Amino acid sequence: MSQTPENGATLDWPAKYNEVPKEVFEREDLWPLELEKIFYGDEWHPIVHQSEIPNIGDYKAAELGEMPIFAVRGQDNQIRIFQNACTHRGTTLVTKSSGNKTEFECPYHRWLFSPEGDLVGCPNSREFTPDFDKKNFSLPTFRTEEYNGLYFITMSDTVAPLREYLGEEFYEPLGRILGGDGRLKFVGYQKVHYDCNWKAYCDNDGYHAPLLHLAFKMLNWQGGKGVQNVSENGHLSFESELKIPDDITALKDASILDFKGTETSTGSIVQMQFPLTVYSKHMDMLNIRYAFPKGPKGIEVHYAYFTHEDDDDEMIQHRIRQSSNLLGPCGLISMEDASIFSRIDKGNKTPGNAIFQKGVKSEFQLDLQVGQNDESGNLPRWEHYRKLMGFKRAES
Amino acid sequence: MSEIEANVIFSIENLNRDYICALDKLDMNKWLACFNKQGTYTLISNENESNGLPIGFMLDDCYERLQDRVTQVVDIQEDSTEHYQTRHMTQLTNITDLGDNKYKADFNFTVFYTQDLIEQTSILGAGRYEDIILVENGKVSFIQRKAVLDTNVLPRYVPYPI
Ligand code: FES
Ligand SMILES: [Fe+2]
Repeated sequence: MSQTPENGATLDWPAKYNEVPKEVFEREDLWPLELEKIFYGDEWHPIVHQSEIPNIGDYKAAELGEMPIFAVRGQDNQIRIFQNACTHRGTTLVTKSSGNKTEFECPYHRWLFSPEGDLVGCPNSREFTPDFDKKNFSLPTFRTEEYNGLYFITMSDTVAPLREYLGEEFYEPLGRILGGDGRLKFVGYQKVHYDCNWKAYCDNDGYHAPLLHLAFKMLNWQGGKGVQNVSENGHLSFESELKIPDDITALKDASILDFKGTETSTGSIVQMQFPLTVYSKHMDMLNIRYAFPKGPKGIEVHYAYFTHEDDDDEMIQHRIRQSSNLLGPCGLISMEDASIFSRIDKGNKTPGNAIFQKGVKSEFQLDLQVGQNDESGNLPRWEHYRKLMGFKRAES
Repeated sequence: MSEIEANVIFSIENLNRDYICALDKLDMNKWLACFNKQGTYTLISNENESNGLPIGFMLDDCYERLQDRVTQVVDIQEDSTEHYQTRHMTQLTNITDLGDNKYKADFNFTVFYTQDLIEQTSILGAGRYEDIILVENGKVSFIQRKAVLDTNVLPRYVPYPI
């Protein structure tokens, strides 16, 4: 296919930094440009935690933008991430979301790949082009970095190394969500499709939590001390103390809200990595939310949950029942977020701009100093998005 | 199923009917009434279940959790939810006698949903119930209802049990 996508999309951005044009959620012609500038551009994307594929030959399928990929643990115990396409004519090699294989055989013409990505067999190769060499047909991989067992990839040769890209204020708390040392055990996914543009999914803010989530109010949770750190390239990191009241009368079984661990936070860490990954540690729940846009409309979110290798049985059970009941598409303290993703996406079919207020000190200036309950922390990510997409801001 | 007495089959079908009618009418107290004091309810993807991964979408592992599920649906999340009407279609596929008036029962299910304002009908999920049922003194109740979803990716957020 020699045709290049229609990438000349333009959009007039408002002069005020606290306004986002609603059409940005609706315009289907933005998607090819978002793929090029963001998903295939200078950003890092988390794909798999080592504990999701703990045994040799374990693999997990995923997507980067629209590209099918898979992660696999090789015979040498190394994790590699490949394009999920045979290097002959492009048939996908993996057709399940996860599994275990010691070799990856393409059914079409039986080319055979090792879990390390080498082409180890191809029938009738004597009749191939004269200079055919198996070595040139290994599975293409990506620039990859690992942090506490979490593997990130990028298609960029120029983006900064992961640590620098995330920034210290993001990198350090993320390490604590990943158990402090990455010695996690994977305990399952909750997968869901949300009927919204990917940018509506990741525009959740610091303002809403005590207002939207009635559970917070009913349970009499106090907003403890906290911070929100934001970076110029659009990452957000919240950390706040959780004070869970001793007598919770709204629930018959308040043990679901117990906060047993003290090791890696004082209650709550929520992080949003540009463009669209959320990491969280609420109470004893360790959670990575891998997200996969399905084109300009619809996003699939895989909430992945973990325990720690040092947990005793009681702690494991506690983390499992807390994670299963509090977070995700059915969760007591998070289902409302899902309802907002879908409702805000519908509402943004109206004309005009979405307006941010809480924490905005000046409409004509970007501010990186934000309070924990401000929605202005989302504005640097919108500015980062605008610049990547090349949209011109109107004169003030 | 031939060795199972007809009145036991009848009781088990009745309990399932009460359960799905309670949900289709969104009468959470009638839903709760289908469980006894040992009762548990689980909603889990087949992907997790078949890989031995314990995380569920809902995991009500004691009677108090079942009561809290009612509170969550009725009092806590009612105002933000985009409501939908469900129709649960079920089919009994197996009954095994476990002794002590307990039976293991399996049903297949399909749940249709019609969301307010969209008003078109789609499938929320398909899967199977794995039940443990107590049939005692003319009373029938769930010790366990486990809904295992073939639909590993939910089509939307799901506030109500299935
Ligand atoms: S496409 Fe894979 S072997 Fe030909
Ligand atoms: Fe929220």
